[in-house]
Amino acid sequence: MTTPHFSYGVSLYSYTGEYGVTMTLDDCVDDVADLGATGLEILGEAHVEDYPHPPARWVDEWFARLERYQLQPTCFGSWVDTRRFGRPMTIDEATRQLETDIRLAATLGFRFLRPKLGVVTFDLEPDPVWEPATERVLDLAVDKDVIICPEIHWPSVIRSKTVDDYLAFIERTGSDHFALLMDTGVFQQQMHLRDGGVQSRLGSGSAGPPQVPVVPVADLADVLDHVVHIQAKFYEIDDDLVDHYIPWPEILDLLVARDWSGNLSSEYEGDYAVGRTSDQLRRQHALIRSLTG
Amino acid sequence: MLDPTMIQTRGFHNRADGFELRLRLPYYRGLWTNLIDGATVTVDGESFGPETIRWRITAAECSLADLTASETLRWPVDVPAVLSVPRPKPLAIGFHVIDVDLRLRMSYIPVELQPTIWTEQRRLVITR
Repeated sequence: MTTPHFSYGVSLYSYTGEYGVTMTLDDCVDDVADLGATGLEILGEAHVEDYPHPPARWVDEWFARLERYQLQPTCFGSWVDTRRFGRPMTIDEATRQLETDIRLAATLGFRFLRPKLGVVTFDLEPDPVWEPATERVLDLAVDKDVIICPEIHWPSVIRSKTVDDYLAFIERTGSDHFALLMDTGVFQQQMHLRDGGVQSRLGSGSAGPPQVPVVPVADLADVLDHVVHIQAKFYEIDDDLVDHYIPWPEILDLLVARDWSGNLSSEYEGDYAVGRTSDQLRRQHALIRSLTG
Repeated sequence: MLDPTMIQTRGFHNRADGFELRLRLPYYRGLWTNLIDGATVTVDGESFGPETIRWRITAAECSLADLTASETLRWPVDVPAVLSVPRPKPLAIGFHVIDVDLRLRMSYIPVELQPTIWTEQRRLVITR
């Protein structure tokens, strides 16, 4: 395999079981740098103090931390919570949410914004408010140079109306500040039944996501030109550095063959027993680095 | 640092008008408070519904209706909420079995599967 041109990152989502319980934000960032990543992905609503209006002190500390650890901010995770008001969200409300997050992402040095959109159907079609609201903020995205990239995330699939609509939006607007984020959980080859996760640790959630068929990695080839960021979702790397859920050799072959140069941002979503995240992130990075030679 | 459980060991106290306990948000991010559908607290089998419970997160104590009406209040993921439960008599010093049922609305999960409900039981000691 030729040398990959993607860079390595970590999403702080990975530390869900540790953040605020065993690890501070500083501890998480220290861990990301220690395992050799250069990209840092955060969730605005989890990791930014007093979101969406962090104090100036916090912003200063943020940049000091990036400098100290030589990390680049990659993707800022945001939400358009369309069910906030007990009625459909208006275009104005969705626009304000996107504007808030674009400005905050830019303030913190992020290049990509991943808005997680509310859905209106059982097969997870996004609330139609996404399209006019996104169109209204495109100029701001250009001004702040933040690329808006909704995710393709299991149980959604690549060959879907949702992705068709995103691609049609890119074509219609001609914008280079709207693109796609790929979450590798889409390619899971078997379901990972989480033990010790947020729900089993804290009680039983009532919501179960719909089941979908396995998505072939070949489908990624069709949209890869529009993918600006990859959440390298994984659930478990075993003691022989094998991932039985996500087909890394196929994914990496494609990324290298296509010379994909974005950030491969690890997102651990396996068992959240204390101490597992840091170890699993290192296993995944070791696995990917060994596969790409 | 917080307990990994939703119901926190710290913060379980009697007060003049009942008792209070602390809940950590059992989720991976903070939420606008108008996504909270309410909590039911049961102590030793005695239940208190969402309308009777008052909340204190980052601002003054308020009702569920106040949390729902606000467009700016948030429940940060690393800040426990203090729930105050009205009860004519204080809880006896010692062990109590606490059950909490917390309901949150997730916008990105099919509405047919909502709200998301977290339930937890803990046996906690009250000291005062």
